[in-house]
Amino acid sequence: MPQIKVYQGDEIPSPMRKIWLTFADNPFAFAGLWAVAGFLLLAVFGPLIAPYSAEHQDPQALLLAPSWDPAGTVEHFLGTDDLGRDIFSRLLHGAHLTFGVALGIVLTSLVLGFIIGSISGMMKGLKSSILSHLLDALLSIPSLLMAILVVAVMGPGLNNVFWAVGIALTPQFVRAIHQAIHEELQKEYVKAAKLDGANPIQIFWYVIMPNVWDTVIIQTTLGISAAILDIAALGFLNLGAQAPSPEWGAMVSQGMDNILTAPWTVTIPGVAILCSVLAINLVGDGLRSALSPINN
Amino acid sequence: MVRYLLRRLNLFLATSLVLFIVLFIVTNQFPVEQRFALTGIQSPNAQQIAQIETDFNLNSGVFNQFIAYLQQRLSGNLGISATSQRPVADELASVLPATFELAAVSGTLALMFGLPLGILASLSRHKVTQHTIMAITLTGYSIPVFWLGLTLSLWFGVELGWLPISGRLNLLYEIEPVTGFMLVDTLLSTSPYSTSAFFDAVLHIILPAITLAVLPFTVVVRITRSAMMTIMDQTYIKAAEARGLHTSRIVLRHALPNAVIPVIKSLGLMLGSFASYAMVVEVIFAWPGIGSWLVAGIYQRDYTVIQGGVLAVALIIIFLSIMIEVLHTSINPLSRKELYASN
Repeated sequence: MPQIKVYQGDEIPSPMRKIWLTFADNPFAFAGLWAVAGFLLLAVFGPLIAPYSAEHQDPQALLLAPSWDPAGTVEHFLGTDDLGRDIFSRLLHGAHLTFGVALGIVLTSLVLGFIIGSISGMMKGLKSSILSHLLDALLSIPSLLMAILVVAVMGPGLNNVFWAVGIALTPQFVRAIHQAIHEELQKEYVKAAKLDGANPIQIFWYVIMPNVWDTVIIQTTLGISAAILDIAALGFLNLGAQAPSPEWGAMVSQGMDNILTAPWTVTIPGVAILCSVLAINLVGDGLRSALSPINN
Repeated sequence: MVRYLLRRLNLFLATSLVLFIVLFIVTNQFPVEQRFALTGIQSPNAQQIAQIETDFNLNSGVFNQFIAYLQQRLSGNLGISATSQRPVADELASVLPATFELAAVSGTLALMFGLPLGILASLSRHKVTQHTIMAITLTGYSIPVFWLGLTLSLWFGVELGWLPISGRLNLLYEIEPVTGFMLVDTLLSTSPYSTSAFFDAVLHIILPAITLAVLPFTVVVRITRSAMMTIMDQTYIKAAEARGLHTSRIVLRHALPNAVIPVIKSLGLMLGSFASYAMVVEVIFAWPGIGSWLVAGIYQRDYTVIQGGVLAVALIIIFLSIMIEVLHTSINPLSRKELYASN
């Protein structure tokens, strides 16, 4: 027997579901989410579906135009570079270098920043000041300069980019989380919880954190897009991933030699970077507007 | 207010001290001899070695070494560049104005176009206009700057041939540097071709400035728009409307001053990425500023140049971000509630 609905009232969605519904209402954000999922899949399975290996050189097809050009062929869908390497395969192989490494960097610095930021945010006075301002000096060194310092000490390479961008990103997380917690601490409901006899850890985790998660999420999306751009910029400047690597920024710098005769060797990796960052930013934007009604 | 300013000064000094400590540690980690990393003298003779050791107190403990390092750096001794054999401080003085010129022009461009566009975007109730502006700004925010620079120079410099794509001035002109700002120097110059040199300098700065302005422009548009949208819903705006004021007056007199506050704050937060972008833009357009100088320094492993450049850029950013914070506090009465600046 089917259940009879006694009450006519609408079902009231939970806060999480509400956020999801607002987010899904925005078609751009939703498209961004699909694109991010696609890039994630490519980062994991890209090398498996690539038609050629990243270093495979085809001497018969040097600087071949993309397939939509009359001179191009379908075998090399996005054309080839000056060594006859298939750009499409290189993009697929490079996805985990640019996109995957960016995710790794952001996760690492998020965890670090979360720990330092919450400790300094919960403390008061001089200790909190020292902890949060200690990293201000690092915050003032732009990521590129940090990378130059790291490269000067350890030499170029993708591993060192990990440290450079990570060191540059961590203070941002520390600062954002510190400020969010600090702001929440001054509100009345925290005082109420304190009067109820909650200890600092309970206040932190059960009272304050639910109101800080949205800051963390937004900061994370910002961090991922910044990390992708930084990795690519370092690859372009030859300070990050080195020459034969299919990292997208390095691909742009390798294509620079032929920019006049074969502009697609520069354009196509650039478009790939643009698309991945755009997808992340669309998601971040959608999340921000979905989360903002709660803030206000 | 005095107490607040003192606190900010204190913050500036403390942050700079931490910066010096970081640089001191990094200097000792460079994979070269410590004496070379500190001074840039490749093969010093006995007298120079003795001089370096007394200057940097190399024979005593780490703490005394740091004090000596601090004294040397603060007195302007940044060592000599290993490649050009010129003092790093002199080189810095010659490259900094170029960077300031570029940054000033693109910052002005961004504010000049960003603020009005943000206001227009917030006022328009038209879905298509709003979506277009948001799409443009989001793309501008996501575009990799080196790729944008390459594409612009390929298109406007090579395909169309409208604009020069490298350097600050055509080699035909010889302008005596007075201030280091090419746009000013060409005007000050007494040579008969100073006007044409000025226009040439303007043509040279267009492409790099536009490339660099894209990031601050999009940020300004977005922040202005969201701030204006919140403010235009406030009751005091409704009151102004009820009094029958003209829309332009409401926007310019009543809403804009409040909308500028978050814009200023975001400018301060953006300084770091702006500096990174400026370095890349300088490399692409061969702009002889501190960014291309630093990148050349790292290619040549010129350790004194790296230290000097990082120190200068980071100090400038610390200083500017604190200045912006002070400005933000001084024009925003609300933030003065927390004047003691405990966070």
